[in-house]
Amino acid sequence: MIDLRGVTKSVPSGTGTLTILHPLDLSIASGTVAAITGPSGSGKSTLLGLVAGLDAPTAGQVIIDGVDITALDEDGLARLRGTRIGFVFQFFHLLPSLTAYENVLVPMEIAGVRDAEARAKTLLHEVGLAERGHHYPSQLSGGEQQRVAIARALANDPPLLLADEPTGNLDTSTGHAIIELLLGINRTRQTTLVLVTHDPELASRADVAIALRDGRVVEHRVQRPAAAVAEP
Amino acid sequence: MRFVLRMTVRELRASWRRLVFFFVCVAIGVGAIVALRSVIQNVRETLVREARAMMAADVRIGTNRGWTPEVRAIIDGHLAAAPVIARTETLETATMVRSPGGSAVARMVELRAVQPGFPFYGEIELEGGAPYSHDLLRGHGALARPELLAQLGIGVGDTLLIGGSPFTVRAVVAKEPGRRAGAFTLGSRVFIDYDDLVKTGLVTFGSRVRYEILLKVEDDGVDALTRRLRADLRDRFAGAWSYRMAEDDISEDLQRAEDYLSLVGFVIVVLGGIGVWSVTRVFVKQKIRSVAILKCVGATTRQVLGTYVLQVMLLGLVGSVLGIGLAAAGLAAIPDSLTATFGGAPAALTWSAVLQGAGVGLLVSLLFSLVPLLEVRRVKPLLLLRGGDASVMAGGPARPVMERLRGIDRVQAAVAVVVSIALAAVASWQAASVQVGLIVIGGFAGLALILWGAGVGLVRAIRPLARTRIFALRHAVLSLQRPGNQTRVILLAVGLGAFFVLGVRALQTNLLGEFSLELEQGGPDMFLIDIQQDQAEPLRAFLHEQAVPGAADARIIPVLRARVTAVRGAAVNLENVADVRGRGSLAREYTITYRDHLESNETLIEGAFWTGQGPLAADATELEVSIERSIHERFDIAVGDVMRFDVLGRVVEARVSSVRDVAWEDARNGGFMFVFRPGPLSRAPHTFIAILRAPESQAARAAFQHALVSAYPNVSAIDVREVLASVRDVVENVTLAVSIVGGIALFGGMLILIGAVAMTKFQRVYEAAILRTLGASSRTLTAMLAGEYTTLGLLAGVIGASGALVLSWAVCRFVFEIEWVPTPGLLIAGALITTALVAVIGVIASGDVLRRKPLATLRAE
Repeated sequence: MIDLRGVTKSVPSGTGTLTILHPLDLSIASGTVAAITGPSGSGKSTLLGLVAGLDAPTAGQVIIDGVDITALDEDGLARLRGTRIGFVFQFFHLLPSLTAYENVLVPMEIAGVRDAEARAKTLLHEVGLAERGHHYPSQLSGGEQQRVAIARALANDPPLLLADEPTGNLDTSTGHAIIELLLGINRTRQTTLVLVTHDPELASRADVAIALRDGRVVEHRVQRPAAAVAEP
Repeated sequence: MRFVLRMTVRELRASWRRLVFFFVCVAIGVGAIVALRSVIQNVRETLVREARAMMAADVRIGTNRGWTPEVRAIIDGHLAAAPVIARTETLETATMVRSPGGSAVARMVELRAVQPGFPFYGEIELEGGAPYSHDLLRGHGALARPELLAQLGIGVGDTLLIGGSPFTVRAVVAKEPGRRAGAFTLGSRVFIDYDDLVKTGLVTFGSRVRYEILLKVEDDGVDALTRRLRADLRDRFAGAWSYRMAEDDISEDLQRAEDYLSLVGFVIVVLGGIGVWSVTRVFVKQKIRSVAILKCVGATTRQVLGTYVLQVMLLGLVGSVLGIGLAAAGLAAIPDSLTATFGGAPAALTWSAVLQGAGVGLLVSLLFSLVPLLEVRRVKPLLLLRGGDASVMAGGPARPVMERLRGIDRVQAAVAVVVSIALAAVASWQAASVQVGLIVIGGFAGLALILWGAGVGLVRAIRPLARTRIFALRHAVLSLQRPGNQTRVILLAVGLGAFFVLGVRALQTNLLGEFSLELEQGGPDMFLIDIQQDQAEPLRAFLHEQAVPGAADARIIPVLRARVTAVRGAAVNLENVADVRGRGSLAREYTITYRDHLESNETLIEGAFWTGQGPLAADATELEVSIERSIHERFDIAVGDVMRFDVLGRVVEARVSSVRDVAWEDARNGGFMFVFRPGPLSRAPHTFIAILRAPESQAARAAFQHALVSAYPNVSAIDVREVLASVRDVVENVTLAVSIVGGIALFGGMLILIGAVAMTKFQRVYEAAILRTLGASSRTLTAMLAGEYTTLGLLAGVIGASGALVLSWAVCRFVFEIEWVPTPGLLIAGALITTALVAVIGVIASGDVLRRKPLATLRAE
């Protein structure tokens, strides 16, 4: 599902360059739940950004579902994200001027999905917000906003779901609920789920745990085989 | 596309309040264009419709010289060969009338003597509703205007003395085709019979009479006949005009007026456009996170850009519709008395004006928002992973110039160039002249560049103040130079607004100053014209007798009317009348004089005047002439050149021996473009004019005029006081119009300022919340805001006022060619008012920043 080959990322800093990710090879199989952990500044979010095509690597290839996304232009990447990748942020990032329902609708409209309205309602129902669709983000709690964000991420039924500290901005019990929701989605839809997290409980429930430090993979532990899923 | 449409609607639903200034800015400009164009189009349509009635004929042939047998033969030849249905002749002259008994008042009137058949078109409306017929004039009948009868204290059936002959007033003229209230005239209209005028003896040698032959012609023969007549008459000081030419002339004059006024409207739209640009720029900054989210969930740059461009177009459309509404309301508010001045043209919107206004509104919305909107291309969805910090793409720390140049977005730069060209095209379209369009856009660009540079300079210059110990001042300075600040935008919008408003006012002051509407103390206030040679000496004695105590003696000056027919010179060579005509106004008829000295209002600037050299020999073949400076400068005629003149049919040649400068504002001695050396001209038949100071009181003045007209019935008096009153009325109408246009510009400029401040407010609400949290009081925050806006206002005001100074100078010097008077009081007041307005509006419009509870703001962020 995800194949990183010799991926590095460095940025200019003052007079020299700062290396955020050192050459890195990584494979994550389809249907797997992978947790990326590490201290602040270890390169977790950068890695996730590269996988989502939100950023380009300095060197190396990022291959998603057999497609080398480093060869795509901005609009190609946007189309890829629209159909193949769902993204959940720590700060939710809903469009403030749109209702919950409309936020879920947007990716489907961009992709030109036909029965978008019905599907948006179904998705809101799935995340337990069937009654709150007409509310604006500012009228929702943090947990509710994150549920809307998850429903939005699932809008086009992407095979890959990326989440950047999805519980980082939520209280413990709400965080639990969100974790259950994400893992449930992985089970029922066979979606590959890559999480960046500081939460040891969430990390322990993943199939694969990847620990980063100073831009290097210091641990790659398979905690349980993703038995039901075959390598692509 | 469906996505773009839906997103546009959703976004507008949420953000229209923030963008309200966007469409108000557009509306003001569109309103100005639509209203100004509509008014002029209505006036034009009304006047063109009346063109034939104004001329009273299909074709008019006219001369100021009387019909010589030769000219009559030419005309008759052409008329015999043309489908002429009817023909009639008229004479028109300004003369004095009085009543034999009644009050001792004499008035100048514009006398029109007509033959049966007049008018072929249009109608002379009489009071009481009786129809006009020539029988009313036969046998010394006269038709007069009610105001004349009131002034003379007579009525219908009473006697009126014209040129000493008695006429009976048979009816009162209510309306004459082609004469409009408010237009400038020498006196009110009196109609009499053609033959009766000839019998009065008023039509004598040298008197100012307009001779006209009016024709009714089959419509398909009008153009051919006019063309043939013009070709044959052009060198014989006569001309022919068809009603279609009158239509064309009116059309052309008003088209020019429409184009210039629309350009004023366009300038207001451009001011609005700057507001649009500033609003869009801030709007895009606020939308960065939304753009990143849209891109993150799969929207392409084109879709996102499409969403925002469509929003802008919709807002532009709403603004245009609002502007059209404003124009309609404005036109409805025009008083009827003002529309009557323009032939009672209806004050309604015209379709063409509405479409043009809406077109310009949409174009300006799009053009001014496109460059800032292109910023959305650069928004990277990655910023969402960084906590959505919009500053990822907003400028960042200062970089070296070269690096900044490399960092310029090529697409944005290219679009900026295309937008500038498009704006120049729109300006040219509105002014109907590429040159004017380019000058306007060039001027704007130049001033914008200066204001931009001033903004950069200001930020640099006040940098040391950021180390001051006064908290509010330090933060005011920091606000002016923080990343993504609005310093340059506000300077641009306010500076251009101040420039335009002050420029218009300064020009207005200069223009009105040019009409010196007050008489100088003891100066002349009356002109007598058409004095015959044998009357000159007795009249001098008469005037001496009647002289006002203390006033200078009346001056009696010989005058002749002449046209330049050729010039043989070093720099210019005009072989014949056709060549002279190519030089524009050189071909007009000039009033010339001869004398042996320079007057006190004249200065010699080149050559030598013939003072003390005595007159030329009576049989001299080459005369001597002194020309005025403007003739020398405009037509390149210099000392030594030989000019040929046609003086009332006599051809004379004269060598230019000097160039004089005439102080025109000193009217005591009159002013002449051409002054000849006495000699042969003194013996040519000519008339005299007199310049004098008449008694001031109404009664004494009336008695003087009465005595004058009784003794010299053919002499006409032009009362300068009355003329000035007439001119003053015209000037007041012009002032009103200019003030309205200036007011609209001022209003637009203020709205843009409020818009710019309100838009920047969103940025500072957050900062204020943090400062509040850290313990800053409302007073400190207010002082910070006041310091920031006062500095901006002062700079914008000073630059705008300086620009206005240059503008008024340039327009006076090069466009109106009048003397320029600086208006320091106006400009200083303008700069100070701008400063105060910006400071007050800045602080008031930031009220939210001061009122909002910090926690709510911090939570929302």
